[in-house]
Amino acid sequence: METDSARESGEEENGFTQPEIGDDDIDNVAEDFRDGLGLLSPKEKTMEERRNGTLDSDNDSDDNSRIRTVDENGNADDSSRIEVEEGQSDSSRIEVEEGQSDSSRIEVEEGQADSNRQIAEFSSENNNFVEGHKEISEAREHLEDDFSEQEIEVEAPTSPSSSGYAGGRGSSSAASIGSASGSEEIRDALRSGDGVTECFGNGNGEHRGQASWAHGKRYSNEDETSISWRKRKKHFFVLSHSGKPIYSRYGDEHKLAGFSATLQAIVSFVENGGDHIKLVRAGNHQIIFLVKGPIYLVCISCTEEPFQALKGQLELLYDQMLLILTKSIDKCFEKNSKFDMTPLLGGTDVVFSSLIHAFSWNPATYLHAYTCLPLRHSTRQAAGAILQDVADSGVLFAILMCRHKVISLFGAQKAILHPDDMLLLSNFVLSSESFRTSESFSPICLPQFNPMAFLYAYVQYLGVDTYLMLLTTDSDSFFHLKECRIRIENVLVKSNVLSEVQRSMLDGCLRVEDLPGDPTLPSDSLSFRLRRDKNLQVAGSSTGTGRNTGIGGPAGLWHFMYRSNYLDQYVASEFSPPINSRNAQKRLFRAYQKLHTSMHDKDVGPHKMQYRKDENYVLLCWITQEFELYAAFDPLAEKSSAITVCNRVCQWLRDVESEIFLLEASPLSW
Amino acid sequence: MGCSASSAGKSSGLVRGSTLENSGMSDSKNLRIKLVLLGDSGVGKSCIVLRFVRGQFDPSSKVTVGASFLSQTIALQDSTTVKFEIWDTAGQERYASLAPLYYRGASAAVIVYDITCMETFHKAQFWVKELQKHGNPNIVMALVGNKADLEESRSVGHDVAQAYADANGMFLIETSAKTADNINQLFEEIAKRLPRTTPLQT
Ligand SMILES: Nc1nc2c(ncn2[C@@H]2O[C@H](COP(=O)(O)OP(=O)(O)O)[C@@H](O)[C@H]2O)c(=O)[nH]1
Ligand SMILES: [Mg+2]
Repeated sequence: METDSARESGEEENGFTQPEIGDDDIDNVAEDFRDGLGLLSPKEKTMEERRNGTLDSDNDSDDNSRIRTVDENGNADDSSRIEVEEGQSDSSRIEVEEGQSDSSRIEVEEGQADSNRQIAEFSSENNNFVEGHKEISEAREHLEDDFSEQEIEVEAPTSPSSSGYAGGRGSSSAASIGSASGSEEIRDALRSGDGVTECFGNGNGEHRGQASWAHGKRYSNEDETSISWRKRKKHFFVLSHSGKPIYSRYGDEHKLAGFSATLQAIVSFVENGGDHIKLVRAGNHQIIFLVKGPIYLVCISCTEEPFQALKGQLELLYDQMLLILTKSIDKCFEKNSKFDMTPLLGGTDVVFSSLIHAFSWNPATYLHAYTCLPLRHSTRQAAGAILQDVADSGVLFAILMCRHKVISLFGAQKAILHPDDMLLLSNFVLSSESFRTSESFSPICLPQFNPMAFLYAYVQYLGVDTYLMLLTTDSDSFFHLKECRIRIENVLVKSNVLSEVQRSMLDGCLRVEDLPGDPTLPSDSLSFRLRRDKNLQVAGSSTGTGRNTGIGGPAGLWHFMYRSNYLDQYVASEFSPPINSRNAQKRLFRAYQKLHTSMHDKDVGPHKMQYRKDENYVLLCWITQEFELYAAFDPLAEKSSAITVCNRVCQWLRDVESEIFLLEASPLSW
Repeated sequence: MGCSASSAGKSSGLVRGSTLENSGMSDSKNLRIKLVLLGDSGVGKSCIVLRFVRGQFDPSSKVTVGASFLSQTIALQDSTTVKFEIWDTAGQERYASLAPLYYRGASAAVIVYDITCMETFHKAQFWVKELQKHGNPNIVMALVGNKADLEESRSVGHDVAQAYADANGMFLIETSAKTADNINQLFEEIAKRLPRTTPLQT
């Protein structure tokens, strides 16, 4: 560990120097885009070695770091088998690939610097290594000289061999696509269009590979809208296997019929070959496909989110659709393959757009965990008791929530509510104004619970943001549930739960500034600094300027997020300066998301800890059997003190667990 | 869920055996009836209910997603009261197979179309047929042409609608949730037409 620290302190000056890559262009790429992705790197071997090196350096373990990690056998180990990655290394391919940006990006979102075509080509060279490793075969098309290389990665379940498939695809291309217009459409969808270059306002004059997902000719009559449509950074489409549009995030589904048909052609073209299309990279755009029987879901994104994250979002989008319709929708397509699903989804646009919005702020969308409203233990128990009472009277699930936070919930015996179902259900209710108007009793499906069957959800708001959901399998039990609600409401009012909820909403959750000091810590210079930080906290938060260590919590702690693996619940600290602007929050959200993806990358094996540094923050992720902790620090924070603070965060959360978590709901109570 | 109105729904709405249809007390002086609103989306069903129940009209009204339940009691001149328990359902296409859940055992159905849109009138006829087939046989049906304030854009003639209503044993009323025109009259008329006899208690 000391060796690591020493190396880092050398890098701390510029935050993310990458000697291994030694490419100036890459140095300009914002760390945001390279972090979390060392895993796919051609330098993997190096990384592996380095990790092993770190493992060997157990004896060097810093005394201050009381991080306990868990080894493969699940044994806690104090001798810090800590695996540290700096994050700025190993990621040449991905960085380049994903970081290939244009200037418009800088204004809009992530503040990313230019990179160039050369890098893109360089990255393509390395793909075989990666795809081979991931058992993804790759097909690369040289469409026309003018067009940049497009890569199509497909899952080839039968044969992971990449070259064979690529060849097959290339030779059969024209024939399989069939009609000339079909092939044109595919090409158009993949080609880099002038319109796009224009609308992205890129002035670098290079012909970059970008997907023009708007069909130029077809939409030439709506140029203004179509330009704005193309400018969107992240599109979601749902279409049927016959190419009928079902949902589009932007624009009217029906007007996108032509584009939809194009996507359909791409998917079915690949599917006919017995493979499943997964990802198309076109310049800095990723096109991700998810095939769910007769329903195709597509995301076109230049947000640089990892593939796994975007795929997870498509899965949730699909499940959200199931929540409204159940999986028996497939039968409609069996009867009539040209079945038009849009009328069935009438009026539910808000549900999907709100979910898509959640993809950029709600950690539940990738943590697969829910979060609780902080409450005194006795308050939550009072709410839990009455919910349990009701759950025992034939209600499948009784859930009391405040916005997207759980106050309490109870399931009938053996019924377990999946966090994803909870996310999608609360999204459904929160996004639809009509639930606020009156009580309601609506058919819904919990896809993780049973994707085939409708349940019935009694929903009633008990306060501005507080709502009760009672789920049942019995379509005739409205009046019973209504009575249950009245009983519950009476108890909640009597025991002041509702007013406590209001107060908690105002008070907010955990704040990094409130992280208690650790009395067991030796009073060295570190703890002195912590005390000083605490004193500076008020002044610091009012100045609101960037990089000084006086802002946030001790040791430059800016934010943290903790997922309890036993409870499937997470808690995140409130955003405080300097993470107070919407953009800063979104950037951190994305950084966590990347960290999460890289920590869970199956191909590289489980990570226990990552430590990354860039010009925005130091990010620390630590995963044990018990929990996952994500923390963001001031970029100047020292690693040893960051680790110490993480330990204190964990201790703090343990101390207040009965207030921030719902302990009774767990099937495995601890 | 079966499609037919299996319950022996006598017209007062005092149907037993299914709690969705009813619970609680109802007598000849104080009726408690289940009413369902049907019709194409956007014709103004939710606005009609909110105008009737809360006296409000919100022009930016939100699309109904689930099925809302609202109730309102009115007093008639003969000193009886009628409590309407109203199901304002959404996504009737989506939940077509589930629609019977809401209209089964209903004593009254309000079938709404938008006078400015012929298509919604056709949709209304679909619902009439559906109820004739599967609904409570004694159901009181009202055919409602809403958005009557938009007279200048009318595309469903009053005569046409009247003829259809007469032919199907329903009454027609043109309303405006926006101006409140005929909203209370709609519910009063339904109340008047409800059979007055309490079903036998066994
Ligand atoms: N001009 C006018 N607009 C109305 C009237 N009733 C409803 N609307 C509008 O029609 C739209 C749909 O109304 P809504 O009640 O949501 O329809 P629902 O889908 O049948 O419930 C809303 O924008 C209302 O503002 C009316 O009587 N006159
Ligand atoms: Mg409505």
